[in-house]
Amino acid sequence: MLQSVAVTFQVYMTLQPLKAIGNTLLKELVLAVLLLLGVSMVVFAILYTAPGDQFNILLEGLQPSEEARARVRDALGVPQAWYGQYFSWLLNVLSGNFGTSVRSGLPVAGELLNVSLNTLYLTLGSMFVTLLIAIPIALHSSVRGYSVTINWPLTMFGYLISAIPVFWMGYIAIYISIHGFAFFPLASLSQTPGENSWIYTLVPVLVLGLGSGSISEVIRSLREEMSRVMAEDYIRTARAKGASVWRHAFKEGFLIPVTGIIASKIPFILGGAVIVEQVFNWPGMGRMAWQAAQDRDFPVIMGIALIAAAFVRMGSLLQRLVYVAVNPQHSRD
Amino acid sequence: MKYYAQTRGEIGDYSKLPFRQKYALQDLLYIAYGLLIVALVLVSYVLGMFDLLPHDPLQINMSMLMAPPVSGGYLLGTDFMGRDILTRLIMGIQAYFLPGLLAVFISLSGGVLLGVLCGYRCGRTETIITYFTNLVDSFPRLVLILLVIAAFKPDIYYIMAVMGITAIPAVATAIANKIRFLAQKNYIEAAIALGLKTHVIILKHILWYNCRALLIIQATLGMGEAILLETSLSYLGFGVQEPVPSWGNMVQSGANYFLQGNFWPSTAPALAILFTILGFNLLGDGLNNILEDGRGK
Amino acid sequence: MSETISHPVLNIQNLRTYFYAHSKQSFVRAVDGVSLQVGQRETVGVVGESGSGKSVAAMSVMGLVGAGPGVISGSIHFANASVHQNLLAGLENFVHVEEVNSRVMAVKKDEKGWQKANEKLMQNLRGKEIAMIFQNPQSSLNPFITIGVQITEAIRLHTTYKSLKEARERALHWLEQVKIDSPRLRFDSYPSAMSGGMCQRAMIAMALSSEPSLLIADEPTTGLDSTTQSKIVDLIEELKSETGISSLIISHDIHVISRLADKVAVMYGGAVVEYGSAAKVLDMATNVKHPYTAALLASVPSEQKIREKASMQIIEGDVLDTINVPAGCRFHERCNQMTTAIKQNCLTRHPDLYEVESGHQIRCWRFAS
Repeated sequence: MLQSVAVTFQVYMTLQPLKAIGNTLLKELVLAVLLLLGVSMVVFAILYTAPGDQFNILLEGLQPSEEARARVRDALGVPQAWYGQYFSWLLNVLSGNFGTSVRSGLPVAGELLNVSLNTLYLTLGSMFVTLLIAIPIALHSSVRGYSVTINWPLTMFGYLISAIPVFWMGYIAIYISIHGFAFFPLASLSQTPGENSWIYTLVPVLVLGLGSGSISEVIRSLREEMSRVMAEDYIRTARAKGASVWRHAFKEGFLIPVTGIIASKIPFILGGAVIVEQVFNWPGMGRMAWQAAQDRDFPVIMGIALIAAAFVRMGSLLQRLVYVAVNPQHSRD
Repeated sequence: MKYYAQTRGEIGDYSKLPFRQKYALQDLLYIAYGLLIVALVLVSYVLGMFDLLPHDPLQINMSMLMAPPVSGGYLLGTDFMGRDILTRLIMGIQAYFLPGLLAVFISLSGGVLLGVLCGYRCGRTETIITYFTNLVDSFPRLVLILLVIAAFKPDIYYIMAVMGITAIPAVATAIANKIRFLAQKNYIEAAIALGLKTHVIILKHILWYNCRALLIIQATLGMGEAILLETSLSYLGFGVQEPVPSWGNMVQSGANYFLQGNFWPSTAPALAILFTILGFNLLGDGLNNILEDGRGK
Repeated sequence: MSETISHPVLNIQNLRTYFYAHSKQSFVRAVDGVSLQVGQRETVGVVGESGSGKSVAAMSVMGLVGAGPGVISGSIHFANASVHQNLLAGLENFVHVEEVNSRVMAVKKDEKGWQKANEKLMQNLRGKEIAMIFQNPQSSLNPFITIGVQITEAIRLHTTYKSLKEARERALHWLEQVKIDSPRLRFDSYPSAMSGGMCQRAMIAMALSSEPSLLIADEPTTGLDSTTQSKIVDLIEELKSETGISSLIISHDIHVISRLADKVAVMYGGAVVEYGSAAKVLDMATNVKHPYTAALLASVPSEQKIREKASMQIIEGDVLDTINVPAGCRFHERCNQMTTAIKQNCLTRHPDLYEVESGHQIRCWRFAS
């Protein structure tokens, strides 16, 4: 009898953190949805206040064919009230209909899908590069103690890198690839057949990783947090125990700060992607957004704004999940 | 090898120690460099405003294309159309100076308003403020601006206004935190107990005495960001148009020549961007370390 | 007691650990020539006020001193059934000390090199042969990991119970030994869910589970409320006799020391000022004691004094400033037992430890023979 109680209790205890994660997941999803709704309102508001008969252009784009459009216009008339317009647009978006591009006449949703994957690759890759550079620097100075001779140049390096305009950095990279390694990272993905064409895709990732300005932030944040954790009592106990200090410092000093910083830097990286895609002619969301801004192609740019915001919220959600999964105190909320 | 020597505190020696430098050298250097940059920018702006330039920024000199620096009266050389680079750099500041100030002004005033509101009367306003902060943070700034450009015209002042608005939450949170900190130390309670009027408390005591460092720092960092934004936008073609110079469009038009090996026309403006943004950032960081973090030796 | 000293488990000789105050450009002489021995199955208590250097001495034994020059001279011999080792072996190769009038004035130390060399040495000893527990048990345990995992980590590192299952069994066994309530429940709890007393029990379990030969306890009862304090002292007493472990207990609380220690070292200003068996050192009746010890004992309120409503006895003066160490005896400025005969010495020369009776030493000019 006692055994089964003990076992049940065991199971209950192991499931506790999962319950906490589940709770947070729910809470954060609701929050994310609310925020995305807000985002859609802002996007729509900008559209609405724009000069010109924008909504009608948008609405026309939402209907699949000319006859359908004419029918809608006759039958329903264009909803006059702004909230009517907003909701009809929103409902369309939620059902996957982002409208039709003013420039190309193609449905936006399809184009966006392809393009956003390319940008996702760029974003994740550059995040990886940023972390690859920033983490060793931050850890070195916090774990080994601050030694001015090594750290000051590295910190300055971080500052300098973050101030270099990323577009110029891109040209340098292109120049080096052309003259140093004899390949053209400019060509669009579909136009570079042959082996090792994936190498071409590394250059923009590298450039964005270096130039998005996140390096110095990551270094500073991580170093501060890690140094603070290293001075904690429980690390002293771990040392006295002969245990691996890293294992104990990892959660609070590394995992949480890094996920936090990354989640907060996603908007900046996406912004940098717009520029990098321009430099390298990379067929991503950023370049599409630029094109749309030039052509005043609303459906496209609105869709991109929504997707970008969705990326950001997802990143934030993941970060919160990690935080709760790791942090036992908060499971009591 | 570390060497430690006892040079004071000799037995019986209780003499006072001489005054040691209070602030870390590093921070002072940052600030010095930053101030230098700010001065240069100001001077250049004034020069540009009054047309006190060494050459005409638009004047083409076909006989001296892409001259290297310090040749034939062109201090920084010429670009691919023979135009003086130094003059164009100075003129380029016009493109971001006032708009940047606008952005900073909007972010600070909105931020102060919002921050004081939230800090002073917490509670429900706080959730709303947090919501707005998260909302604004959900947008990559450039994407939002492209959206605005698509909707309206690519006017740099509109854009800077948007940038200012997107920067409001950051300033507001900083101020609200400061106010909360002061409240925790019973600073505000004490002021109220002394019978000071609310607007006096807010304006004089909170903002002027306690927040002015914070605001200056936010202003410098904000200006740095504004410069980055303007140069990125004009690089993308959404700012001042050729032939009017802006650092961003100078880099862009020099790009092709760069890839052919003529680095300078693109590099000169890029370096200008680099050193200027670095200056503002270091100024902000140095001030922050000294005034806010209390890191001094 | 004396028959255990032939091979003491821990033999600290002339330990000096200094720090450096950059702002004042002088050394902080935290541990200034301390010698101590802990014999087999023996418990040595180190008592003194804050700033006397007792914690730093313990840290020096474990090699956990991070700052300043740190350990600069001395030897710490550790000996048990399997290990004979000077924990400060090789220190001379990394440190060069310059003295003026036998007072350290400059130190040259290769800190990185010493750290590396010392780490190699201490790696196999820390946790395994020598275990240490600290004050503030709640902050000394990792808040992100359950205590069960923290204990099994120690077990799997240092004992032969390597598998998770075995380690878990052992951990539960030890949790029972430290009389923690519902060990199985606590195994999966986080430190934040437990009270200070329970956390300290868990720490003791963690320390003892790796079956060390020496336990160093740095203020194990500080930070706990008084009822819990006495329970923890009871626990330590019991565990000591059960496991036969030698221990070094550091505390500023005389009660704790009197209940646990076989021998007592009184520290003041970085040096041991009295050393002997607990009975002799803590004996209030005799006046064969160091003035500081006398004052310390007198200042502890006892039942009798409380009943008499006697006024609190305080020790005049401030804690020794270990930067501006005065010439002469460390304690002379606060001493109320200077006689004219020895006054000259008190003011100008450091006394050595003088043996007043077998096994009892006092650092005072009054007992210089």
